[in-house]
Order: sequence, then C-alpha cells, then structure tokens
Amino acid sequence: MNCEELRGEYGAWALGIAEDPERSEIAAHLARECSECVAGVRSAMATAAAMSGAVTEAVPPKRLRRRIVAMVSPEPNRAFAFLPWAVSALLAIALVSVAIPGREKAPAPNVSKLEQALSILNDPMAKDVTFGDPAARGRVFVSPGGVVLIAAHLPKLEANRTFELWLIPAAGNPVPAGTFHAETVANGSSAVYVYQGATANAAVVAVTVEPEGGSPQPTTTPFIVTKL
Amino acid sequence: MMLPGFFFPGAGFPGLILALELSGQHDEDLARRLQRRDPDAMKDLYDRFGRLAYSVVLAIVRDSSMAEDLVQETFLRVWNRIQAFEPGRGALGPWLLAIARNRAIDHVRSSASRIDRNAFELDVREHPSLFVDMEREVQNTDHARVIRAAIVKLNPNQRKVIELAYYEGLSQTEMATRMGQPLGTIKTWVRAALTILRQELGQAVAA
Repeated sequence: MNCEELRGEYGAWALGIAEDPERSEIAAHLARECSECVAGVRSAMATAAAMSGAVTEAVPPKRLRRRIVAMVSPEPNRAFAFLPWAVSALLAIALVSVAIPGREKAPAPNVSKLEQALSILNDPMAKDVTFGDPAARGRVFVSPGGVVLIAAHLPKLEANRTFELWLIPAAGNPVPAGTFHAETVANGSSAVYVYQGATANAAVVAVTVEPEGGSPQPTTTPFIVTKL
Repeated sequence: MMLPGFFFPGAGFPGLILALELSGQHDEDLARRLQRRDPDAMKDLYDRFGRLAYSVVLAIVRDSSMAEDLVQETFLRVWNRIQAFEPGRGALGPWLLAIARNRAIDHVRSSASRIDRNAFELDVREHPSLFVDMEREVQNTDHARVIRAAIVKLNPNQRKVIELAYYEGLSQTEMATRMGQPLGTIKTWVRAALTILRQELGQAVAA
C-alpha cells in the first residue's frame, strides 16, 4: 500500500486501533523511515497525546511517588549482595564462550553476551532467585532490562527440541523470552542464557521444553518456575 | 457505565493545563538528567507528569490499585528507554502519556480476554522517534480547554467512536460490532473525528 492509501489510518494507528492490512503496512513504512508516513504518524501522535487533556483529573496516592522514586534510588551495598554469584555467572559465560571441553575448536569469546549479562547483573534493580529441584537447579537474575539464567542439571533434550524462557505476568499470558540449548559439561547439561528485553510485567520466570524454534505459548509444563 | 472525562467540559483543571504547558528547555534538561541516571530526575518527572499519567490510566482501567501499578510500570518504562530519547527534539510529556495509555489499554484488553492484535507493536508505537518536534504543538496552549471544545464539535457518533478508541482501545471492527454499524461507516466516523480534533488543535496552536 502506498502512503496515500494509508494516510486516512494514521490516526487509528496512533491510537492503537488500526487493523491489517493498514496496521502492518504503516509499521512497515515507519520501519523504512518513509518520510511521509513518519510525518503523518507524528502528527497523529500529537493529536492522541492532546486527548489526555480531556481526562478527568484524579489525585494519585502519595505512596505512588515513593514507589516510583524507590525504583531508581540506589540501595547501598545492594549491588554487591550477589557478588559471589555474579562472579560465578561471569566465569560461566566466559567458560561457555571460550572453551568447552570436548570441542575441537574453542569459539570466539562472546563479548556482546558478556556485556549484556554484566548490565543485568550490575543493575541495582536486579532481583535474583535461586531455584532447584531434581530436574534443574540454578539462579535467575532479572533486571528491568533483561534476564540472566544460569542453570545446571537440565533435562536432556530430544532431537528438534529446545528450551524456551517465559516471563509470566501476574495477569495475562506468558510472554516468550527466547530459546536456548544446554551445553554438556562434565557430568551434566548446563546453560547460561541472557535475554535482553523488558521485564517490567514479569511476576514469574519459567522454562519449558518446546519444538525447535520456540512456541508462541507454552506447550509443555515448565520444569523451572521461579517467582520473583 | 461511568462517563469518561470527555463528557464534563464544564470542569476546570488548571493542573492539567499547566502540566501540558511545557518548556522545551525544561524537557531537554530533564531528559538529559534521566539519561545520566539522576534519581532526582525521576522525582521531577513524576512531579510533572505523575498526576496526569495517573488520571489517564485510571480513566481507562477504573481501578485505583491497578492504576498505581500501571503508572509505576510507565515510569519504569521511561527510565529504561530514555537513552533512545532525543533531548533536544523529543516531547517528554506526550511520550510518557502514550506509554501510560498503552499500558492501560493493554491491561483492559488482557482482562477482557480480547486478542491483543497490537501486542508486538506497542514498542513501535512508543518509540521516542515518533515523539520528536512535537513541542511546538503542545506547549503554550490551553489543552484541556481546547480539546474539550473540539470534542463538543463532534457529532454523537464521532464522539462515541473516539471514546471507544481512547478509553477501551476497541478496534474499528470491534466498534462496528458494538455499535451495529458497517466497518466502513465506523472508519468514516473515526477519521472525521480525528480530523476535526486535529484541525481544532492546530488552530489553537496557530492562535
């Protein structure tokens, strides 16, 4: 569809009520930075934003300000609370990335993955939860910007299967957060998985076994479930 | 059904008016401080936009406890994504309010078990690049008065579809079902309503 055909739907798109094909087409035009659509959508966004001015005013409770400010206020020593695990995680990432026993060639260090993990581990807002049962044990770190999962004794995967991470909100469906495989090290299968993405809604982190490529929603019972 | 704020044009909200009369320089400074991870910047951000964000969210979800959670999520989202914001060009208030409304609509859709067809595009619609060069249009105008005056100019059908869109996030197909009208008719009403609102806002800015 061309810009002229889409022009009438800029407003609906800005309000989040456009439907296909216009919805996808506008997104595609924006993705390729179509100047006409970008300008049109920006104008529509301005109108949508202005509509907030007609909303009935409500006074939020004072505790809301405290909650929001507390989210970003640094807590002394919090960053060091999980230092031993942080060191272990970094070593694990370096080990998996650099040298894996049994491999003929060591893969190149995954610097990007390490940096991603560091940003999550060092986030003062990161939460960490230990989990463990006969199926798997380890620790998960969750910051507003991502997840670092360190797990050992993972179940053996059948052919064409993969592990998939889920972020489960208090209300709503699980949100897929990527797939990963385990590495067989020593006597078991372990994995260090880094997910970079928003986690604000997550109340629970879970892992399931899914078909290769992942699933939009879980198709098996999670074998790792950690409540944040 | 509780009538949303659109239908009380007589109420005066100086706080809302002031909240949207933004200084571009103020926005820029605040954005830069947020990007530097200044915790006090978050206090200032909340003091400027917290009440309006809460008002928008509460008007949509109609649950004060949930509204608190969603506003907190909104501010966290701003904090996490502020690095992509262009301090010299971006409109902080409209961006934050868009995020707030999206959180609320997402919640309403999830609660109603409606298929969220726009789930994967929330990030696209909230990208800071869509909220640049907007300050000229939103600052120094009496927004509450202007938008209410504009809404009064809509006919009942136009006003209804805007209400369903803004407060419930209904798709145009869902509106057609709710109102018992053809989809084409609904789209005509939506487009006409938004055109009128846009024109009225544009005239207010020009004045």
